[in-house]
Amino acid sequence: MGKYLFLIVSLLTLLLMILAPWAAPMREFDGSGYLLNPLGTINPQGLVLPEGLGFNWLGAALGLWVALLIAASVAMFLPHAETRARMLYILGGVGIAIFVVEAVLFYQAINAVNDAAVAAGARRPPLRRFALSLGVYAGLFYSLGLLLLARMQLLGGLAFLVRMRGLVVPLGSLLLAVLIGAVVVSVLRPGLGAEGVERLGWRELVATELDLVTYTFQILFSPILTLTGIFSSLAFATPLIFTGLAVAFGFRAGLFNIGAPGQLTIGALSAMLAGVYLPLPGWLLLPAAILAAALGGAVWGGVVGWLKARFGANEVINTIMMNYIAASVLLFMISGNEYRFFGQTVWLPFKAEGLEARSHEMQEGARIPLMVNLFVQDGAFSWALPLALLLGLGTYFALRRLDLGRRLLLSLAVVVPGFVVGGLLPGFPIEVPPAMAAQLFNGSFVIAILALIFYNFYLFRSSAGYELRATGLAPRAAEYAGVNLRRKMILAMAIAGALAGLAATHYVLGAGMDGTYRLSQAIPATVGFEGIAVALMGQNTPLGIFFAATLFGVLLSGGVALNAQLGISNQIILVLQALIILLIAVGGLLPRYFTDPLQAAQVETEAKAELEARQARSAPAGGN
Amino acid sequence: MEIFVALFFSTLRQAAPILLTSLGGLFSERSGVVNIGLEGMILFGAAAAAITVNRIEVATGGLEAAWIPWVGLLAGATMGGLVGLVHAIASIKYRANQIVVGTAINIIALGAPSIVLQVLYLNTSTSQPVENRLPNVTLDLGLGTGTISILVVVAFLLVPLIWWVLFKTPWGLRLRAVGEHPEAAETMGVNVIRMRYAAVILSGVLAGIAGAYLSIGFLNQFIRGMSAGIGFIALAALIFGKWHPLGILGATLLFGFAQALAIQLQGGDILPASIVQALPFILTMLVLAGFIGRSRPPAAVGRPYDK
Repeated sequence: MGKYLFLIVSLLTLLLMILAPWAAPMREFDGSGYLLNPLGTINPQGLVLPEGLGFNWLGAALGLWVALLIAASVAMFLPHAETRARMLYILGGVGIAIFVVEAVLFYQAINAVNDAAVAAGARRPPLRRFALSLGVYAGLFYSLGLLLLARMQLLGGLAFLVRMRGLVVPLGSLLLAVLIGAVVVSVLRPGLGAEGVERLGWRELVATELDLVTYTFQILFSPILTLTGIFSSLAFATPLIFTGLAVAFGFRAGLFNIGAPGQLTIGALSAMLAGVYLPLPGWLLLPAAILAAALGGAVWGGVVGWLKARFGANEVINTIMMNYIAASVLLFMISGNEYRFFGQTVWLPFKAEGLEARSHEMQEGARIPLMVNLFVQDGAFSWALPLALLLGLGTYFALRRLDLGRRLLLSLAVVVPGFVVGGLLPGFPIEVPPAMAAQLFNGSFVIAILALIFYNFYLFRSSAGYELRATGLAPRAAEYAGVNLRRKMILAMAIAGALAGLAATHYVLGAGMDGTYRLSQAIPATVGFEGIAVALMGQNTPLGIFFAATLFGVLLSGGVALNAQLGISNQIILVLQALIILLIAVGGLLPRYFTDPLQAAQVETEAKAELEARQARSAPAGGN
Repeated sequence: MEIFVALFFSTLRQAAPILLTSLGGLFSERSGVVNIGLEGMILFGAAAAAITVNRIEVATGGLEAAWIPWVGLLAGATMGGLVGLVHAIASIKYRANQIVVGTAINIIALGAPSIVLQVLYLNTSTSQPVENRLPNVTLDLGLGTGTISILVVVAFLLVPLIWWVLFKTPWGLRLRAVGEHPEAAETMGVNVIRMRYAAVILSGVLAGIAGAYLSIGFLNQFIRGMSAGIGFIALAALIFGKWHPLGILGATLLFGFAQALAIQLQGGDILPASIVQALPFILTMLVLAGFIGRSRPPAAVGRPYDK
């Protein structure tokens, strides 16, 4: 059956190559473009390409791909598994090579024309927003699929896939969510450049629609291509790391923490109170404010843990209720100065003057600097942070023989002098482009990384964390082994809350919301829900959470451009995240042995037995 | 006296969507599926109803006819049912964690309407106001009269009907059996999977109707996040009402009264509005902590069924 499915996939790939645009050498701001296809260009808006730009290789490339598709389809029907695998490996490699050649040819041609025009005195390059498109990507994905398929032909292929299920399920879900998102986008609006143009043939309609879908995701993923985009993405990712950790911490302890929005809000509120009003010296104020953020969140989470431990009240509904209560508390604190309680007037000082509901500005000492300013001080590169990082990591890996606690302590002890000494070293002058300095990527990212490290060591390297994970996996067994379940429950919710509360360091202390060091009512509490997607996508592992948060950060950063260019609401990112949650919950629609550890183990055992049987059979033959 | 009449009708208006949603949740949880996605289903229903009515009005050039809001209601109920179907497929067929699925639905409901609104009305938070709303009825209490939407009446009439269905019909008995002990029910020839599908879809339909009430009965447009926690309060009412229609009626009247009181208190000098808004949620937490009576959920609730 698999063979015939593969035939269908090959046919669909061919269809996609025939119908979809292969590349767009130029586009207008609204996305309408000049679309290349081996069977003729599609250009509904009548854009004019500069002289001397030729893409004659497209036809030859299509010929190569057709040959490759046919060869792969034939190879799948070969009787011998090992030959089949070898053929597919080769064909996959060839496909990737074709893709690379296509990319090089395309970008070389474009750059040559642009360089020539600029050299001739044009104010800006004539070709803009150029990129490869779906037709070429289809070949790349097909080739990558061939490589995977080749591995599947060999013995233990399925077991290999099942062993990698921590990657397969999230990535499969991401892929499916992207596909659903593509369908939604194509239903929502007409194809790029097809609007208002009459007498478009069906081929143009299909091509512009496919172009729309491709360009949408190109915009969404485009921030990874520039340093400015990466800064912006990491700024979006920072709060997601915190809330992702908050949700994942709950999952590890067997609790579902939907309360990250509320914990974040209360954390922000207490960070604001500390940052604005605490009369402390500058060097103490920032740590105090950060601690306040964590404490605020910890209290908000801890209450729910206590209610569950003491009264058995379900933490899911309680955390949701606490979200609404937190929103009310925030509104009460910063939306007005004068309140009437039973006829008495109460005066609250927290709201700043003006129409907007926002707090006063943080004191200087409570502000977290921008990341750019951490690396570059007074126009010169500062060695403080790099040296501290280098020394810390070096110490940690050098002291392998010591026990973990001392290793961590010594590493931290080395970091501080490293930071000081690095600050004294003469740096080389460096210029920061204004676009990068404008990104709200601030020092709270460092705190996020520290939170990730804490999560890793607490959960996976300490006995307290071991007990916590045991509580999550098998509460009764943990209790039998002497774990105090109620205490663990409260502790877990408090730590989860503290992690969510720390997200406030980005928004309030780091001015990550709009560049002002204030708490405002617009603080995006839904980031707490997005944390669920981060935790699930990252499979509750520290590295996974980091990458998932970064991925969503990239999408959120791209969503801003998407809204501006194509008029598609950036809420689509929220929907994509929710779809990913849903799809991971159903195991990416994959067979059950990908999600059930017992069945997964069975698959691996069977593969091992088969391998051993094969070896037993071939060994005497080799001996003769 | 007048203020009490106003408070009474306001309570009914506030309680109706909670009641509809909670009765929907009753089916789902009695069959053994936790439906935390009710909040999202309300939003989907509300958006579908308002947008459908508005589109009909636009297509007919502002026609005012009695049938239009009913089509909107149908659209809302269908949309709720479809979302319920998604929940059912994920949590029954794929045995997914029911709370994760419900949460995903709630988050989709936060974002998806905005995307459609952006395309239709060029903003992400509200739909165009509609002219054709669901009809109102006027009730005379003797002390004074009040106007309520017909759906409010329907919601309260549903209580005895659902009580009868759940406790006096074979179908109801089977449903309860499926939620208490699915293996036993299966042995007796009950199709557990089918019962659960029906129950979850039904809960979506009722939540969708509650949403339609909000957008084309209570108000005249869809507003982003207009459910404002009703779905969760409905879940709390379900727990507080001990998974029984009459208990739910009592619980929703209490929550409805709290909200009606909040509206009456707003703008006065007794309590600030932001504090009053939080009251139903604080009340819910007190209820859940068991300060006001204990309750026991259906035994198999939250557990995926494996043959």
